[in-house]
Amino acid sequence: MYISVSIAPRSLRCNMVRIKNRYIAVQIVPYATKQTLHLKDHILAKCILQNVEKHYGVYGLGVVEQGFRVKYCNERTKIAVIRCVHRGQRFVSSMLPLITLIGDLRAKFRTLYIGATIIQCNKFIIKHQKQFLDRFMGQVESAKERQDLFKRVMELDMDR
Amino acid sequence: MTDSQYLDVKLKLRDTESVVLTPGYLSGCILNSLDNLFGEIGGRTSLDIVKFSAADRRLILRVPQEFVERARIAVTLIGHYQEVPCHFQVLKTSNKQLDFDDVGL
Repeated sequence: MYISVSIAPRSLRCNMVRIKNRYIAVQIVPYATKQTLHLKDHILAKCILQNVEKHYGVYGLGVVEQGFRVKYCNERTKIAVIRCVHRGQRFVSSMLPLITLIGDLRAKFRTLYIGATIIQCNKFIIKHQKQFLDRFMGQVESAKERQDLFKRVMELDMDR
Repeated sequence: MTDSQYLDVKLKLRDTESVVLTPGYLSGCILNSLDNLFGEIGGRTSLDIVKFSAADRRLILRVPQEFVERARIAVTLIGHYQEVPCHFQVLKTSNKQLDFDDVGL
C-alpha cells in the first residue's frame, strides 16, 4: 500500500510558515506620580532590549530582536503594547518586572495581559480602562471634566 | 557524580609566549564568555576546573548536565585569551571523570 505524499518545493514550504507573535499589554507605573509621561516608544523598546541583553546575553537579544516592536504607547494612560515573536516571549515577560529605569525615568512595568492578537489585547485594554473609569468617574464633579476624563482614558489609536 | 559532565578542552593560542596560563584566568575567561552570550540569568552556572596542565594547555572542566550545551557553546565561541587570538577545542566529553591520558592527540 502506497501513501502518496506531495512534497512542495523548498521555497514554497518556507512561505507557508506562519510567524507567531505575542502582544504584551503593560502599564508603566512611575515612581513619582505625574499626570503625563514623556515617554516615546523607541525609548521603551531600547530599554527593554538593553535589559534583555543584560540578563539573557547576546543569545537572548538575538531571539527577541527579530519582530520586536512597541506597537502602542500612550503617555497619558501609561499603557503600552509590545509585540514580540512567540519564542522570545518568555525573555521579554520575565524581564519586565526587573526593569526599574525607563530612559531616565524611574518607573516599573505592570504586565496586564499577554495575547496572541492585537485585537484581543485591544479588547482587554478597553475593558481595563472602563474599570478605571468606573472607579474614578464618581470623584469628578462637573460634566465637562467627566467628558475630558473619558476622552483621555479611552483614547486608543492603534495605527502604528 | 552522574549529574555532571566532563569536558576535555585544549587551548590553541596564536602567540603562546605572551600569555599567563592559570586555572583562575581560564575559568574567568569562560565565565566571561558565558556572561556575554547568555547574560546574568542565563549564564550562571557552577564551573569547575578539575585538572589543568599549563604545559599541554589542556584542562578538564566539570559542568552540571543541564548546562553542558551552554558551556560548550561559550567555550567554542571564545576568540581571545588575554587579548591574544585563540580558540578552544573540545577533545572529549563524558559523564565520567576524564583524565589527560584518555585522549591521544
